[in-house]
Amino acid sequence: MRPKAKMKKPENWFPTVKRIWGYLREREKGIVFVLLMVIVSSMLGLLGPYLVGVAIDEYIVTKDESGLLLLLCSLLGVYVFYSLSTWLQNYWMIGIAQHTVYRMRSDLFYQFQLLPISFFDKRKHGELMSRVTNDMENVSSTLNSSVIQIFSSVLTLVGTIGVMLWLSPLLTLLTLTIVPLMFYGMKWITNRTGKLFKEQQSSIGELNGFIEETISGQRIVKTFSQEEKVIGEFLERSERYKRSSFWAQSYSGLIPKLMNLLNNLSFTIIAAIGGYLALKGVVSIGVIVIFTEYSRQFTRPLNELANQFNTLLSAIAGAERVFEVLDEREEAQDEKEASVLRHVTGKVEFEQVSFSYEKEGHNTIKDVSFHANPGETIALVGPTGAGKTTIINLLSRFYEVQNGRIMVDGQDISNVTRASLRSHMGFVLQDSFLFQGTIRENIRFGRLEASDAEVVEAAKLANAHSFIMKLPDQYDTVLQQDDSGISQGQRQLLSIARAILANPTILILDEATSNIDTITEVKIQEALEHLMEGRTSFVIAHRLNTIQQADQILVLEKGRIIEKGSHRELLEVKGFYYELYHSQLKGDKIG
Amino acid sequence: MIKLFKYLKPYQLFIGLALFFLLVELGVELVQPLLMAKIIDEGIMQKDLSVVVFWGSIMMGMALFSFLGGIVNSFAASHVAQSFGYDVRKRLFEKVQAFSFSNLNKFAASSLITRLTNDVTMIQSTVFMGLRIMLRAPQMVIGGVVMALFVHVQLALILVIMIPVLVFFLVWMMKRAMRLFKGVQERLDQVNGVIRENLMGTRVIKVFLRKDHEVKRFAAASDELKEKTTASLRFIETTMPVLMLIMNGGILFIIWLGSEYISTGDIQVGEVVAIVNYAMRITTSLSILSWLMTVVARAKASADRVNDIVDTEIDLLDAKETGHIGGEYEGKIQFDSVSFRYPGSEALVLKNLSFTAEARETVAIMGATGAGKTSLFQLIPRLFDIESGYIYLDDEELTHIPLHTLRKQIGYVPQEAVLFSGSIRDNIAWGKEEASIEEIMLAAKHAQIHETIMQLPKQYETTLGQKGINLSGGQKQRLSIARALVRNPKILLLDDSTSALDLKTEGKLLHALKKGYSCTTLIITQKISTAMEADKILLLDEGELVAIGTYAQLAETNALYQKIIQSQFGKEGLRFEAKS
Repeated sequence: MRPKAKMKKPENWFPTVKRIWGYLREREKGIVFVLLMVIVSSMLGLLGPYLVGVAIDEYIVTKDESGLLLLLCSLLGVYVFYSLSTWLQNYWMIGIAQHTVYRMRSDLFYQFQLLPISFFDKRKHGELMSRVTNDMENVSSTLNSSVIQIFSSVLTLVGTIGVMLWLSPLLTLLTLTIVPLMFYGMKWITNRTGKLFKEQQSSIGELNGFIEETISGQRIVKTFSQEEKVIGEFLERSERYKRSSFWAQSYSGLIPKLMNLLNNLSFTIIAAIGGYLALKGVVSIGVIVIFTEYSRQFTRPLNELANQFNTLLSAIAGAERVFEVLDEREEAQDEKEASVLRHVTGKVEFEQVSFSYEKEGHNTIKDVSFHANPGETIALVGPTGAGKTTIINLLSRFYEVQNGRIMVDGQDISNVTRASLRSHMGFVLQDSFLFQGTIRENIRFGRLEASDAEVVEAAKLANAHSFIMKLPDQYDTVLQQDDSGISQGQRQLLSIARAILANPTILILDEATSNIDTITEVKIQEALEHLMEGRTSFVIAHRLNTIQQADQILVLEKGRIIEKGSHRELLEVKGFYYELYHSQLKGDKIG
Repeated sequence: MIKLFKYLKPYQLFIGLALFFLLVELGVELVQPLLMAKIIDEGIMQKDLSVVVFWGSIMMGMALFSFLGGIVNSFAASHVAQSFGYDVRKRLFEKVQAFSFSNLNKFAASSLITRLTNDVTMIQSTVFMGLRIMLRAPQMVIGGVVMALFVHVQLALILVIMIPVLVFFLVWMMKRAMRLFKGVQERLDQVNGVIRENLMGTRVIKVFLRKDHEVKRFAAASDELKEKTTASLRFIETTMPVLMLIMNGGILFIIWLGSEYISTGDIQVGEVVAIVNYAMRITTSLSILSWLMTVVARAKASADRVNDIVDTEIDLLDAKETGHIGGEYEGKIQFDSVSFRYPGSEALVLKNLSFTAEARETVAIMGATGAGKTSLFQLIPRLFDIESGYIYLDDEELTHIPLHTLRKQIGYVPQEAVLFSGSIRDNIAWGKEEASIEEIMLAAKHAQIHETIMQLPKQYETTLGQKGINLSGGQKQRLSIARALVRNPKILLLDDSTSALDLKTEGKLLHALKKGYSCTTLIITQKISTAMEADKILLLDEGELVAIGTYAQLAETNALYQKIIQSQFGKEGLRFEAKS
């Protein structure tokens, strides 16, 4: 028995099957052809043993040579066409199945592009990946082979019983006595294995989760010298898995043994009782031979169907999870009436904006109002969790405001398309997020039509050019996903270059300067000055220098703006900002 | 692959049991056609009913015996496979725990995880299958041929000739298929890579309006995957039809030849039937065999990956002598002409570094990225060994102190806060087993996170991680600090651990550290404001110690330092200091 992958039960399988069928229908003709081939091959598969039986009866026992030769030739023909039709049916089905999977995968990926940020924030990447990979895998392998197997199993079963009945109803009846035995046996086993497999899945989930977490944090384990403790916890989970798996596997391993028994029993019945009947002249030896072969052909499809059924269920469950994502509300669904935001000077206004990530509970930000003139730099300051990132999220319409409105150049941004809004914005985020590709390609991501010269120009303005030239392949250096080769600070410089190239009117900088060493930071500060020139910039920063030079400082605490103004103005107020500023310079002692 | 067999040794008894009953099953299956031949030849043809009844009952009895044996086989095989899996997993995990940092650097975390999970499971299920069915297929093939020979040599020769040809064909197909599937795996990795990037960079993609670009990129990778998969599967699918055709042709030949022999009286009908039966069973077994070969190939690949870990040599050995006297440490750290490079790399990360941090001092370490600061930190708990020079803790060489004791003295807060799933309380208590709730709360208070925790619905029992809440960057950092503090360390290493904190909170934290703990604190920081609180500042550049002194001293004398101050405070900063 092959070890089963995650066995999930589908919620309601019929609509899911319908949808899968919808994909398959794109290759309707192919499917009809495959079905035809399955019928042909099943027929031929039945014909073979039948003719062998005839050969024995008509020609061997009666020693009729020429007749035998003729029969054998036709038998050869049967075998050749059998192989041919089997090959054709699979060849075609594979093409259809892979095409269907390809389409589903593409649809899923495209859907990812349309979904709102809130969708991704709420889920773990690993889980989404699992849908695109594991679940699709299930669907793929099922479509590849299971569909055909099920069809041909059913056909073979029906055909086999048909011929058996025609040959000898008596023997057929005898052979079928094993069926109820099989049913009860399987039921008894699957009743137990159902629970056992669930237990097994959960314990291996726990074990694997533990392994993943520990290995990811292995350095911490070593630094804190907690190896013994971790090993202990590991063994606990491993033990649990071993136990549950033992029972699950042992019981499910009984299924082939049961099948074996039934095979042997039916063989015995046919040989013995069939032999008795042959003795009495009720049936011929040839019929016995046919029956022995057919009885094997009979139990095998039944076994197959049982196996395939589980795989099928699992695949349907997988497809369901894929369709779940496809049915999610897209980000732009509310944009039917939206207009396009054209030329923008960069004037931004927040009017009494309130928002909360949770449905109930306190607001993340409340009644936030301010305005920024074109080209101004606005610094957002405040303790962690005060709402700074939220304001940015709302401005870029990653989330929607719940109260109040945000205006750009006098237009409410909820009335314009997101794409047009974002086309005027540039981002330099805490996580620079560079793609696998050359440095040049990464910078060009800011504006795909930019020329090489423009890319270099942007890199120069971002103070990235000098370190790029020091690299062995310079602009053609390939960046890998997990930072290698270049430092965090350098990655930030590249993401600044990318933003410069994009030439946005509104700029958003989210804690971009806090992970950088001081030398590179000087470079970054210069680069940012270039970047911010003439653009309306929103900066979340901790560096006093940046804050001091801002045109306006918004001090946030617990979701509200508690102070607003320039550096000098706020110092005069002698409030929160004043405290913050002085606590930095002089430690706790003021005065 | 063979190396792993030694883990099977303890279960020899059960293996023997499982294999014995496997043979019984096989024996029964092989004998059946013979018995049926007897029924036909001696019973039906001779019109002797008693023979039919006799052999029929024997067959029935054998079927039942085989079944019972099969049950034993299933349980025995399961026991062996699960225990084997447990042992291998245990060995692997313990080995990984013993890995030094440089050992860990050789393997990506995801790779280690896959090896511990998927690869072990693959090997384990192969063992399971091996004991239950795997051996049957080849046994059936061989046994079938042998029995056929036993019945009638000349007729059986057909089988003897055909089968090696078929096996050869199967092996050849499998090898090619393996290569094809490797190609499929690579394409799949590509597709997954694009998806992963897209999931991680959703914001960037949306903001730069790169949807179409990404869709195109994905389509290209997905298309290649489709092509490769289709081609590979189609190739594999030709195996069975060809196999069936050849075998069936053989059966035809047997029948024809058989009829010849019957007419010469050389053989009886029942015997021909028996050989045809054997041929049909061998066909089934051959197809199972081809499937089994893929399984074994995959298991071998997994076994190699598992052995990779087992064979790795640990390169950081614990202190051999315990000439070490126990007792309390003060926390004085001294570096004496220390040079260090990472294993396998050319460049020296630290060059001739010497400094002393007196017990209970606060030392700030500053410098550009790559200057060597984190590397310096990693040497203190002896996560790596140095190339030259000496490091002393309380005047005792690090290499003389048992690793466990050494690390117990140290509280390390890395740059990136790594927390585990579990309650907040569990996470903090991770730093010290058996920590009481008072100790935990105290550490949390000092780390400036106690109030935040108390505002959560379940407070200290709130679960983090997969199903729990997500904390902000600053909150994670503070938890990470609390975890280190609960240990009551003699040495506290803070690697840029306050980067996500606002100035006020950071100030309170540093103050609490000074008041609440009598430990030597080394803090890597970029912020001048933090460095100002320190007793002395180390300025590193490209692995060398460029300056050392108090803030005031450096501000006056060191050009680099002045530049740094200016970048953070502007001219005002300098002015401010000159006043005090």
